[in-house]
Amino acid sequence: MSLKIQVIVAVVIVLALLWIANMVRKEILDIRFALSWLTVGAVVLVLDLFPGMMDFLVHLLGIELPVNMMFFFGFCFTLFLLFTLTVKVSRQEEHIKRLTQELALLEEEIKIQRKGETVKENDEQ
Amino acid sequence: MRKLVIIPAYNEQGGIERTVRDICAQAPDFDYIIINDCSTDDTLFVCRKNGFHVINLPINLGIGGSVQTGYAYAFRNGYDIAVQFDGDGQHNARYLHEMAEKLAEERLDMVIGSRYIKKEGFQSSGIRRVGIRYFTGMIKLVTGKKITDPTSGMRMAGRDVIAMYARNYPKDYPEPESVVAILKAGKKVGEVPVQMNAREEGVSSISPRKSVYYMIKVSLAILIAAVRR
Repeated sequence: MSLKIQVIVAVVIVLALLWIANMVRKEILDIRFALSWLTVGAVVLVLDLFPGMMDFLVHLLGIELPVNMMFFFGFCFTLFLLFTLTVKVSRQEEHIKRLTQELALLEEEIKIQRKGETVKENDEQ
Repeated sequence: MRKLVIIPAYNEQGGIERTVRDICAQAPDFDYIIINDCSTDDTLFVCRKNGFHVINLPINLGIGGSVQTGYAYAFRNGYDIAVQFDGDGQHNARYLHEMAEKLAEERLDMVIGSRYIKKEGFQSSGIRRVGIRYFTGMIKLVTGKKITDPTSGMRMAGRDVIAMYARNYPKDYPEPESVVAILKAGKKVGEVPVQMNAREEGVSSISPRKSVYYMIKVSLAILIAAVRR
């Protein structure tokens, strides 16, 4: 890996990390959701700054090209993240359904109560 | 004995009035509640104009979420019986008494209005009947019980099932799966022969394009419901 690429990758990752951190600061992004992204950014940054670690890992796992390892782990990470998001969306759909039902039922209850009150008022008059 | 008719309504401006009048005329001892599933037509307006009893969902939840709202309403208001009844003129209110009698006499937990006991009235298209028979076979396989019309949307539930459905109900194409769920919980389900009409208003929620999804989703859901707890 040439020094040039190393520097470019490092700059991109640092910018991305700063961007994410800024979104957390502005409370656009919840820290819990940012954490996995910050972690993966940090890991890639470390591997970029210390190419020796990369070579060691590649050798350890018996993978021929370092780039293959990056693709493999990147793919696994993406799949994992997508799936956890699918689970979250599914749970949120259930929550939204519950809230919607609760709201509609309460609205109906309030209407019935108000109707009862107006009937009472009319009786008093 | 307090009895409730749950009428899920999505874009039923043309049929809802007739449905409610049918219930009031033929089953006056039943209360009813319309669940307006965020219709984009004038369903809500028609209901308000006529002074119908309506619960208005602020977000479209689909058939499962609508019907479940009805069961939740029935549960909270202490109804002994709740029956689902389509708002599009497919169902006839004249069967409600018979269904309630069967539920009480045979101490059942649910009574389904089935088109396929006497095979009279609107029978659905040939290809759909094949699908329905397939679900009948599948339910028989996983529960040992024969349900001739597992997709029927005309179903009457007692207290136990009301409570179960208020808590847990599938979101789309809920009928076959939810029957398996209560059978697996040891609830007793019976059927009465009914005639249904070809729908007068609105369109079926199951277009040809969706039928593949429907078959796969419901098959899987039945299997999952069968192994749940």
